[in-house]
Amino acid sequence: MKTKVYAPGDKVLFKTKTREWEGYVLESHDPEIILLKLQSGYNIGIRENEILNAKLLEKSKELPKKEFKPEINKDKKNIALIITGGTISSRLDSKTGAVIPTDGQAILNIVPEIKDIANITTIKKPFLALSENMSSFHWIKIAKTIEPLLNDESIDGIIIAQGTDTISYTGTALSFFIKQLNKPIAITYSQRSIDRGSTDAYLNLLCSAKYATSDIAQIAIIGHADSNDNSCIAINPTKTRKMHSSKRDAFKAINTSPIAKIAKSKEKINLEILKEFKAKDKTKKVKMDIKYSPDVAIIKIYPGQDPGIIEWYQKNGYKGLILETTGLGHVPSKDSKNNWIPKIKKAISSGMIICATAQTIFGNLNPNVYSAGRQLQKTGIIFLDDMLSETAFVKLSWVLAHPNWKKSIKEKMLENISGEFNPNLKN
Amino acid sequence: MEHDYKKVGLKSGLEIHQQLNTHKLFCSCPSILRSDEPEYEINRILNPVIGETGVVDIAALHEHEQNKEFIYQVFDTNCLVELDEEPPRPINQNALKIALQIATLLNAKIFPVSQIMRKTVIDGSNTSGFQRTVMIAHDGYIETKEGRVRIESIALEEDSARKVQTSEETKTYKLDRLGIPLVEITTYPDLKSAEQIKEAALKIGEILRACDVKRGIGTIRQDVNISIAKSKRVEIKGFQDVKMFEKIIDGEVSRQIECVKNNSCKNEVRKALPNGKSEFLRPMPGSARMYPETDTPLLKISREQMDTAKKNLPKLSSEHKSFLAEFGLNEELVKAVLKEKKVEDFKILNKTSDNTELIAKMLTLFQKEIAKKQNLSKEELNKIFNAHTLEDILEKVGSTIAANDVKVVMKNIASGKTLDEALQKSDIDLDSEVRKIIKEKPNLSSGAYMGLVMGKFKGQVSGKEVMGILKKVLE
Repeated sequence: MKTKVYAPGDKVLFKTKTREWEGYVLESHDPEIILLKLQSGYNIGIRENEILNAKLLEKSKELPKKEFKPEINKDKKNIALIITGGTISSRLDSKTGAVIPTDGQAILNIVPEIKDIANITTIKKPFLALSENMSSFHWIKIAKTIEPLLNDESIDGIIIAQGTDTISYTGTALSFFIKQLNKPIAITYSQRSIDRGSTDAYLNLLCSAKYATSDIAQIAIIGHADSNDNSCIAINPTKTRKMHSSKRDAFKAINTSPIAKIAKSKEKINLEILKEFKAKDKTKKVKMDIKYSPDVAIIKIYPGQDPGIIEWYQKNGYKGLILETTGLGHVPSKDSKNNWIPKIKKAISSGMIICATAQTIFGNLNPNVYSAGRQLQKTGIIFLDDMLSETAFVKLSWVLAHPNWKKSIKEKMLENISGEFNPNLKN
Repeated sequence: MEHDYKKVGLKSGLEIHQQLNTHKLFCSCPSILRSDEPEYEINRILNPVIGETGVVDIAALHEHEQNKEFIYQVFDTNCLVELDEEPPRPINQNALKIALQIATLLNAKIFPVSQIMRKTVIDGSNTSGFQRTVMIAHDGYIETKEGRVRIESIALEEDSARKVQTSEETKTYKLDRLGIPLVEITTYPDLKSAEQIKEAALKIGEILRACDVKRGIGTIRQDVNISIAKSKRVEIKGFQDVKMFEKIIDGEVSRQIECVKNNSCKNEVRKALPNGKSEFLRPMPGSARMYPETDTPLLKISREQMDTAKKNLPKLSSEHKSFLAEFGLNEELVKAVLKEKKVEDFKILNKTSDNTELIAKMLTLFQKEIAKKQNLSKEELNKIFNAHTLEDILEKVGSTIAANDVKVVMKNIASGKTLDEALQKSDIDLDSEVRKIIKEKPNLSSGAYMGLVMGKFKGQVSGKEVMGILKKVLE
């Protein structure tokens, strides 16, 4: 029997040979199967050809949308919440079975205790995207969204909620885009969906609110310090990497220590600053420098790799390359069948910018120890010491978009603009 | 029976949870309960998540109001799935197969497509804040003396974590039990007397035990739903023993008669107490607590899977019982064969020999004796005495050896001899050995000499042979 006339969310009564089924129709991706939510709450499938008789009991109703109305407590600081998508802002519509973006109010419903820390006065949704689908287009959009909020003296801090996968790219881009940041920006996430009692978004949002009301005028990625639900760390995005595909404490500070630790007990939430920081000054105005050249690629070096790939990038208009080198900063060289040195030299002399980072993730480059490093040094490649490849990628794209700067590209790449180098490790 | 169940309008249904004998349902960690120290502990909190209707589930709220922190003890047999640090892996196919067999034995109809659901549970017994559960089948039945009892549903779900300690501030759980596959069988409220509830529970229990399920205390849990006319449905949890049914049901009917009088009946979950009474546990959760597990695909059960389940159905112990009794085995042997799950081996060996009593003994009593004497585990013996080895021994009965020699041969094999070595008659000159013993210790009874000889040649000579020689020599 044809049941396609029923839309997801419709309450129906189906009759099969053996019995009657009452429930809500769900979205089904198999045309022969009708998915039904039963009274018990279980979802089950019935073959469409087994349905003998169908009756519509109730047409699907759109639930009225609740408008976000901020509650203001004059004794509390004010923060703005930016929602951009990802696990932290998606939920499942149990009536239709589809994953839908949620609204700011729903996110705040997870953490009613946020009221005790701050007022959420503004919620902005510049776009909704899964983090793997984001690019510089989205980073620029976020920058434009927060610029007026940063320059609004009534707002003390900002929380940005994003999907986890590429969160450090976003944070890094903002770190370079914003000149003289005047207030805290917390970027947060969830690794466990917000529909479940165990969602890590609860603690992450509380810690982010605490950070956003602090005196630290820096951008930080904020989330679980470990598997326990009692503390978060705030890490400089340019030094942050997602180091686990699923755990709550996936984000680690690489080659540095966190900016702050936020500990939560039943009674209170406490922020402990762990290193020197830039102080907040709401009266200062920020400027955005969102110029960005997307013609940069990352190449991971592996044994036996053909250096011809460099020519492919040149032919296709790329202006900069980040070579994620082995060990202390090596590529296959003189004694290898696939010697990279001549190709690198040639590309650099024809105007391409090539930088080296460490594929070991942890540790610093040092081209002086082995001959491979010394050969590579002579090509004019820029060794980026302990800078993360992802950070190098964003930074080079940003630097290349500024051809009129007085300093050379190499000088800019080696300047510690947003803590992308650990000064203690610098060569 | 204290009450006239018909008069009070008793309506009751059973909910039975049985652990399956496989690894965990959504990861490949072993289903092992631990009594040693955990590797480490983690600290978590759970929140009542507000549903799309803006209503927090009443049961969830009840738990949240207790404002507890949860401590989880983690063992090296746990993985990130149980820690709620990794999405679930695909559903355990072996557990699914067993669930399909149980559903088929309960005459239920299997859903071709079903969705794994998250059932909100925030008492801390699930690290995720929900229990994963999937509906497998519907509308089955069993027969009882008082009529047919319909089975409403059969679901496959995760067991919860074990609570080890509760304090003012915290609840502590072990993660060893979390995720063990459970089959949940729910009957319609067709049960009309305490006796019928007991009979239905026993009948379902028999079907479960025929399948590959875990055995022993805590591996099966029964809940009973009870209501009388004008009262509200109450779920009573924690019947460990079917003997408690009648007493607790009578007690609950009395309690509900009172609450109807006072107009104070509530939908609630209560816990059975050993004294036959029950205590309030929590409010009954609403249906809004269930939503799809989005980290797993839809569960599709093919016709092929259903057919395989049907073809390989295990026999119930009552069917096995009458099957074995037909061979003239005494009750003790029938019980032993059933207990040791040797019916299949019995059938195989019966093709080689008609001496069914000997076969039954080889499969059970002899092995038990050897296990005890030679300090071997059941698993070790099962390996040594597989159907193939026993078949080889049986083939020699009547030619190389007598039926009486079988136990000795088995003993020899268990102590490491090959079949050929074990079959060799011992080169003991029994006649002169017996004479020697009598000469050393004269004037004892024949029974005492028997003991001495058997003691000296443990397992190498047959008692019957010794007795023959003793008789001859002593005369």
